[in-house]
Amino acid sequence: MNEFEKLEAELKELRPVEPSKEFTARLEEALGDAGNVAMCCLPDGEEHLDGPQAVPSSNKDGNLISFSRLLAFAGFAGAGLAAVWAIIFYVSSNLAPSTPENVGKEASLLAEKEPVKSIDVFNDDPDSPLNGLSLDQLQDVSVMPVSGWLDPQTNERFLRVVDEGIFQQPSGLPARQVRHYFMDETLWSHPASDTRILSTTPREEVIIIELDTY
Amino acid sequence: MNTEPIWKSWFARHGAKLLLFARQQSRRPDEAEDLLQEAFVRIWRLYGHTGEVAPGLVYRAIRRLAIDWARSIDRRQARENRVALDAPMSFSFDRTLEQDERKQALLRAVERLPAQQKEVVTLKIWGELTFDEIARTLDESLNTVASRYRYALEKLKQWVPQEIEGKTKDSHTAG
Repeated sequence: MNEFEKLEAELKELRPVEPSKEFTARLEEALGDAGNVAMCCLPDGEEHLDGPQAVPSSNKDGNLISFSRLLAFAGFAGAGLAAVWAIIFYVSSNLAPSTPENVGKEASLLAEKEPVKSIDVFNDDPDSPLNGLSLDQLQDVSVMPVSGWLDPQTNERFLRVVDEGIFQQPSGLPARQVRHYFMDETLWSHPASDTRILSTTPREEVIIIELDTY
Repeated sequence: MNTEPIWKSWFARHGAKLLLFARQQSRRPDEAEDLLQEAFVRIWRLYGHTGEVAPGLVYRAIRRLAIDWARSIDRRQARENRVALDAPMSFSFDRTLEQDERKQALLRAVERLPAQQKEVVTLKIWGELTFDEIARTLDESLNTVASRYRYALEKLKQWVPQEIEGKTKDSHTAG
């Protein structure tokens, strides 16, 4: 231990005066409802704290953490058990000996399957948006007119805004998070066949507003 | 099962250190509690719902409030308050150390430090903040904060023996 470390240790031995009970009571009054937003559980038999003097140096809100850990552990244990059962069931069904009846059944199922229709992949049409399909083929497959569509119309529809409260940024500074909900609409029109296609896509935008610390 | 607001256990852990810092930052000793109350309530209202608040935020709020309050005091009052500023630092610590001469000398030496070095020592030793947190609290660079701390320790190393010697001489003279 060098001299600075010794000095630091000596300084740490000096204990600052604890705030008085009256001051803690004042704080409680000033906090009002804001003080009761986050609560922690005390073990049975332990009394409520009247002031800082009543609290040992251990972390009191550790009870809250241990309770949530317990819940998480129970959840994981349940999920693990379910996964083990699923694996056992899968393995046992796949390792079942294949009887001649099963083999015959599988063969007949394969025979029933229709042969895959072949597409002329070499028919390359430069106007077609899909490689390997001509415009005519595309029209046949999609049952929709291929040409004659107008330019799509887009529209951004604002739905609502939600204030998600204040959080602490990694830098340690507070910020308010506001989420905007939009619906993006795209409309394709084909006047010749009086066909319209409307596509709607929900979208969210998160805005972070930095706050001063006081 | 009993429940209690989390802020109480939080304040039990950090209250004494925060009050010490508030005493250093305030212009008058009786203003320190008001300063701490205002800063703590503001920060807890912002973050209290999370159940855990970084103490650095409260230190920062105390410092900024102290600066704002000092600006709002008129000159005459500020002149009067200079007297209050000379209140010994030992009032902010457990009185049991009165029996320990070396500890008293240590405190007197801390008291002699320039204000900027004193606040770094307070935040580092009793606030238990890292240099990075102190730099953010004081709006200074990490290097500045680390150098102030080092200079402060060097001075303390030099001054504590002087303080002990001086006190001994005083008691001899008085005797």
